[in-house]
Amino acid sequence: MREVLSNFLADKALENKNFYVFSGDHGYALFDKIRKGTPDQFINTGVTEQAMVGCAAGMAKTGKKVALYGLASFIPMRVLEFIKMNICYEKLPVIILGDGAGTVYTTLGASHQCGEDIACLKTLPVKIYSPADKYEMEACLNAAYTQNMPVYIRIGKSDKPSIHNAPIKLEELLPVISKSSDTVILATGSMVSTGVEICKTKNYSLYSCPVLSFNNTSAFINELKKYKNIITIEEHSVHGGFGATISDIISENNLNARLIKFGITEYFTKGCGSYEYAIKFHKLDVESIMERLKNLGL
Amino acid sequence: MAQAGQSVHIGCAFSLIEIAHVIYSKLVDVKKIQNLEPDRDYICLSKGHGVMAIYSCLLELGMIKEEEINNYFSDGSSLTGLADSHVPGVEVSGGSLGQGITVAVGIALSKKLDKSNSKVYCIVGDGEINEGSAWEAIMIAAQQKLSNFILVVDANKYQAMGTCESVLNMEPFKGKFESFNFETIECNGHDISELEKSFKTLINSTSEKPKVIIARTVKGKGISFMEENNIWHYTRLTKEIYEQAIKELN
Repeated sequence: MREVLSNFLADKALENKNFYVFSGDHGYALFDKIRKGTPDQFINTGVTEQAMVGCAAGMAKTGKKVALYGLASFIPMRVLEFIKMNICYEKLPVIILGDGAGTVYTTLGASHQCGEDIACLKTLPVKIYSPADKYEMEACLNAAYTQNMPVYIRIGKSDKPSIHNAPIKLEELLPVISKSSDTVILATGSMVSTGVEICKTKNYSLYSCPVLSFNNTSAFINELKKYKNIITIEEHSVHGGFGATISDIISENNLNARLIKFGITEYFTKGCGSYEYAIKFHKLDVESIMERLKNLGL
Repeated sequence: MAQAGQSVHIGCAFSLIEIAHVIYSKLVDVKKIQNLEPDRDYICLSKGHGVMAIYSCLLELGMIKEEEINNYFSDGSSLTGLADSHVPGVEVSGGSLGQGITVAVGIALSKKLDKSNSKVYCIVGDGEINEGSAWEAIMIAAQQKLSNFILVVDANKYQAMGTCESVLNMEPFKGKFESFNFETIECNGHDISELEKSFKTLINSTSEKPKVIIARTVKGKGISFMEENNIWHYTRLTKEIYEQAIKELN
C-alpha cells in the first residue's frame, strides 16, 4: 500500500508540474521517490501541522493541486478546524492523507493512535476513503486526484494481506466473498482481511467498503436488503464511525436487519505492545470477534 | 454599516483604516483586484474582526454595493461580521484567528513558485498572534524566503478582554520578528506618509526575507470616546452614538 502511495505521488509530480505534496516532517522513506524525482514539488513545512494545512490551502486557492500528508492523529485530528475553514469552506480539492490510522503506532502510545478521524470528518463536506489493500489504495488515489472536492484517505495498517488480486473499480461495496447467507460482514481498511479470516469458518458474505461517504444509492440499499444480520468491522471508534453510518442507513431506509458493530470501544489502548496486542485489547482479533458472534447466536 | 449591523467589531476596524487605505490606494493595482486577476496582489485580512475597514475599501472599488453596506447583518445578506473569503475581494476567511495568515503564506509560496511578481499583504492583530499557528506561518514564510510576503501587525495594544500587556504580552515585536528572520520596520500606523514610506522601503528591498511592518495604532482611532476604550472592541452602536461618531469623523 505504501509503495503504491509513494509511486503515485512521485509519478503525479513528474506528470504535473502543478502538483505539490506537503508533509509536516513526517513520512520518512515514503517520500524518497518524489524527493529524488521532483524535489521542488515536495514541501516539508517542519513540525507545523496547522500552518501546513493553511499553506496547502493557499496553494490550492491559486490553482495548484495539493496533497497533504500527516499521521491521522494530527492530520486530520489536530488540525480539524483548519481543514474545515481553509479546505472545506473553500471547496478546495485537496487530498488529505492520514497515515497510521487506528492502532498502528501501538508502541508509541495514545498520542499516535487514532480511532476518531472518520467520526470527526463525517460532519464535513469531505469524501472519505479507507482502502484495504494496494488495489484499493490505487483506486482511491486516482479517484481523489480527479475529485473536485476535498478527499481524505485513511491509511491504516499497511502490511496486511492483499484482498483483491487485480485492480478494482472503486465502489462503496466491493464483493470479497459471496456465499448464500443471510449474514454479511461489511469491513473497511485493515479489518477486511480480518473479515476474510472469519469467513473461512463462517458462512457469511463479505464486502470491503473503501468509500465511507455513502451516497445512499438504491443499489447499495438493495444489496443490504438481502441480509438479516449485518456485521460491521472497523479499526475506528464505534461512535460515529463506519458502523454508525451503516446504522443510520439501516434505520433511515427502514431495513429489517440486525446490526452488530465491531470497532474500538475502549477509546485508548491500555498498555504498550505489538499491533496484535492492541487489536486483541480492543477485541478486534478474529478469536474475540468469533466469540462475541457466538454469544449473539451467530 | 456599523449601525445597521448592531453589535460590531468597530474599534478593531478603526485601528487599521489607514493601513488598508495605503495598501489599496498606493501599493496595488486595483484594476487587477477588481477583476480578481490571478497575477493580482493579494490583500489578506487575517484579523478578520477588522473587516469593516476592508469593506469600506471594497465599496470604494465598487466590489461591494452601497445597499450591501446598508443591509449589514440583515437576513440572508452577504457581508459577514468577520472576514469571509466568499465575499469577492476578501481573499481569506479570517474569523478564526491565526488561520488567515497561514493561507496568506500559502498564496505567497504559490506565487513565488510561479515566479510571479504578485505580492501578498497580510494584516494580523497584535492580539491575534497569541495564536501559535501564526508563528508557524511566520517561520514557514522565513524558511521559504517569501520576500513577496508583507505582513502588517496592527499593534493597537488591545485584545478582546484587555490590553495585550495584561493578557498575554508579546512585545517586543521588533526583536521577535527580526529573530524570526523578517525584515522589520516599526511605524505610526495612522500616518499615511510614514506608512507609505515604510511599505515602499520593504517592497524595494532586495532581501530574500519576508517583511513586516509593526504598525503602532490606536484602537478606535478617530472617535474620541472609542479611542483606547476597549468596550468598543465589540459592541452595539445606538442611533445617538452613531450620530455623535459621524459628527466627529466629519
